[in-house]
Amino acid sequence: MSDESNADNYYRLMSRIRVIFENGEPERVIEFDPAQAPFQHDGQPGSILDVLLGNGIWLEHACGGNCACTTCHVIVKRGFDTLGEASEQEEDLLDKAPGLTPSSRLGCQAVIDDPAAELVVVIPRYTINQAAERPER
Amino acid sequence: MPDNVVQRGARRVYQGVIEHVTAHNADTRSLLIRVPEVNEFHFVPGQFISVAIPIDERRETRAYSLALSPQDGQPLEICLNLIAEGVGSHYLFGLGPGAPLSFTGPFGLFTLEHPREYETVFVAEGTAIAPIRAMIRHALGTSGHPPLTLLYTAADQAHLLYRAEFETLASQHPNFRFEQRVSASGRLSALLDEIEARYVRADAGRERHFYVCGVGNDVLRVRDLLRAAGYARRAVEYERW
Repeated sequence: MSDESNADNYYRLMSRIRVIFENGEPERVIEFDPAQAPFQHDGQPGSILDVLLGNGIWLEHACGGNCACTTCHVIVKRGFDTLGEASEQEEDLLDKAPGLTPSSRLGCQAVIDDPAAELVVVIPRYTINQAAERPER
Repeated sequence: MPDNVVQRGARRVYQGVIEHVTAHNADTRSLLIRVPEVNEFHFVPGQFISVAIPIDERRETRAYSLALSPQDGQPLEICLNLIAEGVGSHYLFGLGPGAPLSFTGPFGLFTLEHPREYETVFVAEGTAIAPIRAMIRHALGTSGHPPLTLLYTAADQAHLLYRAEFETLASQHPNFRFEQRVSASGRLSALLDEIEARYVRADAGRERHFYVCGVGNDVLRVRDLLRAAGYARRAVEYERW
């Protein structure tokens, strides 16, 4: 490996998400390289849902991550501006989400644009998120 | 709670059984699903269920709208077409009566529970009629609903699903109009000009409520046409598959 590629790897930017669960589960911290998206197959590539599922954190997404429900609703406490803008379709759905806040997003649509993003994301209590509910593998 | 219903956190996983399969045409079927020992499965017309699809050693889910109304009771009905690369539809097309089907739900916010204040216009294409059929059956079984119009397109008569049922309902309910359109594409884009002529240019009235369901960006084009014409944002509801 050349010195140049070593340097590229060393300085490659990593994004970070701190995930807080309102239901009391221990919080998790994920570091990831957005350039590696998609991390699995549901939701927009590079979205919060994509990153969480790809890193072993289950976030409900009853419609398959296709922006047709609000079960992947998350509250972005930090780093909101590092996300791509919400579409009108996402806003229409968020209007109907229980517990809507000004920093609410649908996890399946909120794509992390900044390669060095630092996000803090809260999974609301009413967003089903328990280990027992992970799809059987 | 019966053995075939498992509570996992805030949601329930139901183990149903396919009671009957209806072939609408060569590539479209309805699965009628009974959940034994469950008297009532509560949902709102327009909602969907997430069906477990075993893929290799994984288990994924696919969302399917319920095509009957809550008043219809069991069996529940989902309607789907065979998609060339669709693992979910291929799996479900391989199931027959007696096959088990695991699902969670109901989910979804594209719903019609109580009669709307104004004329309600439903716009659909192909299998996207499923949630709208549930809404119409529910509305027609509810007193005090405003005039209802269904504008429905498909590529041929065989893909205008539930056509005879809608024709019968229209003959029985003076407040319900069924307008079927065979179009080359079978897509909502084929209805855009008609929607504009009837609901934008024909009058200045903007007291209507729309439910639009279809595939892809055509749904957004219908939404944008109506909202840009002055219909309230919340009067134009849609589900994009």
